[in-house]
Amino acid sequence: MTETLLLMLQGFASALYPVNILAMIAGVTIGIVIGCLPGLSAAMGVALLLPLTFSMEASTGMIMLGAIYCGAIFGGSISAILIHTPGTPASAATAIEGYQMTLKGQAGKALGTACIASFFGGLLSCISLYFFAPILGQLAMKFGSPEYFWLSIFGLTIIAGVSSKSMVKGLMSGALGLLLSTIGMDPMQGVKRFMFGQSSLYEGINVTCALIGLFSMSQALILAEAKIKQRARATKFNDKMLLSKQELKEIAPTIGRSWIIGNLIGILPGAGASIACFMGYNTARQFSKHKELFGHGSYEGVAGSEAANNAVTGGSLIPMLTLGIPGESVTAVLMGGLIIQGLTPGPNLFVGETAKMTYTFFAGFVLIQFFMLGIGLLGCRGFAQIARLSDAILIPSVTILCVVGSFAIHQNFVDVVIMLIFGVIGWLSRKFGLNNAAIVLALILGPIGEKGLRRSLLLSGGDPRILFSTPVCWVLIALCILGILSPVLMDRMTAKAEKDSE
Amino acid sequence: MKKTDIGVCAAMYAVCAFFFYMTLQLPEAAQIYPLCVIALLAALTTLHVFNMIRGAIREGVTSGLEDFKDFLPSQFFILFAMIITYLILMPWLGFYLASVLFMSACLIFLRVKIWQGVLAEIVILALVYFAFSVFLEVRLPEGTLFY
Repeated sequence: MTETLLLMLQGFASALYPVNILAMIAGVTIGIVIGCLPGLSAAMGVALLLPLTFSMEASTGMIMLGAIYCGAIFGGSISAILIHTPGTPASAATAIEGYQMTLKGQAGKALGTACIASFFGGLLSCISLYFFAPILGQLAMKFGSPEYFWLSIFGLTIIAGVSSKSMVKGLMSGALGLLLSTIGMDPMQGVKRFMFGQSSLYEGINVTCALIGLFSMSQALILAEAKIKQRARATKFNDKMLLSKQELKEIAPTIGRSWIIGNLIGILPGAGASIACFMGYNTARQFSKHKELFGHGSYEGVAGSEAANNAVTGGSLIPMLTLGIPGESVTAVLMGGLIIQGLTPGPNLFVGETAKMTYTFFAGFVLIQFFMLGIGLLGCRGFAQIARLSDAILIPSVTILCVVGSFAIHQNFVDVVIMLIFGVIGWLSRKFGLNNAAIVLALILGPIGEKGLRRSLLLSGGDPRILFSTPVCWVLIALCILGILSPVLMDRMTAKAEKDSE
Repeated sequence: MKKTDIGVCAAMYAVCAFFFYMTLQLPEAAQIYPLCVIALLAALTTLHVFNMIRGAIREGVTSGLEDFKDFLPSQFFILFAMIITYLILMPWLGFYLASVLFMSACLIFLRVKIWQGVLAEIVILALVYFAFSVFLEVRLPEGTLFY
């Protein structure tokens, strides 16, 4: 207990280093810009800027990526409120009430509410990050090879099942990713597998290249296929952004409820901020004393949606950091960032020297919320103008950043080609209903699962019963089954939340 | 059922066949895991085929082209060709010159106002220069033509 408290304090002391503060400011600003641009997502932004963190200390790099993540989730609300186009799917529910407030000449108040609710949602989500992550990490310390095998299967089943329209297509995407993860050196036999004569494939497909291709390059191709439309001019506003004490008091319970909702959804692998925002919005309406204002510009609605989607951020980091299971695409990209820094997500992050890095990141995550509030409140007017940036400029800009980002990894042109191949795979996958997040997750979890399976079989002399030998294995098998069945539950939850918000 | 899903399944079977052929070239002990994954992908694709047949009987068949209703083939393929050309030219022209040409070509093709295009090019290339060339000290391709 004392040791943990000491680590927490050390974390704050390290997070306050000037370089980390700079990373927070830069990350939040970049994140808000990416978030407020309709068509660009948080995952895409984090993937695109991943190479920038290569030369940074692990904690600084993770703080920067976390800042981009939080900034992007909040940034989506700016275009949702001012031009009725959510910058990210996480702000879809914010657009309902936020734009109505803009039409009533209360754009400043809507943006202020979004900013404050996002701040509290994000800040409160850090509580669960601090308390649940080490506990889950300790539990994961007891895992052996068979458990790691089932853990990787669980991660794949849940994300493949939940994130796709068709569960089978999601699982097919996962299996395709698993197959691609076999490229490279066989971990047990030392045999070259499917390397096509390329020595740069010795360690397998570079996950960062795959991430940049699947999330960023594919997005540039998606933008390139459709007619370039001129976006609506962002409404200029002159009303006050800060809320009165009375208004703050009124939204406080809404923020509290949305925090719990967002946090639980964040911890649950597969569910994400886009579901949380609708659930937070609906709950705000159910409990509101001014239900008649909903649909006509209710700031409680904006608070409910924004607090929930930002509360997802801290929660979603828990399964990724403790078990190595990223629950959604952004955390999959963040996990890629950890791996690049030579760290293995899982219980080891809470032991020894690595624990210092982890707690610095946690402290940084708390401080990011303050910077998000400050930069959000001060810069909303400027960010609102960026939301108008044309896709015609974004297409070549994103392409150049993808090329330079993938080249920078090993200063090798083969990586650029791999990135482009994954860009095309990602574009095709999105057009034909497959799931990019499942492909990436399989690329990350595939080697973990393979090692777990083959080491287990080696230990048991080829007897598969070892995979069913411990109670934890059975719990994980039950979770896998639940993961496969969860799409039905999630579909019902989403449909109900959307129906209720209409 | 969407007709385009037939193509998806065909592509998956082709991937399975290709990796199956490649796996057979490996030593026997190294074949087991890839074969298991190939079998999994083939089984899931077959399950999808059954779902498609069931869907076709119950709900009929759609072309699947509704997902491409906003697709502008000429714009997409010209931009894609520009990306490929950009990558081919980069080793000869170097990163910065190739990027200026690529971005200019894209912005002119997409009819962006000249001042906006010039500003965008300056911002992006300055960002790349300071972030990658100065901060990360990455040696971007310098080009053989003007070296």
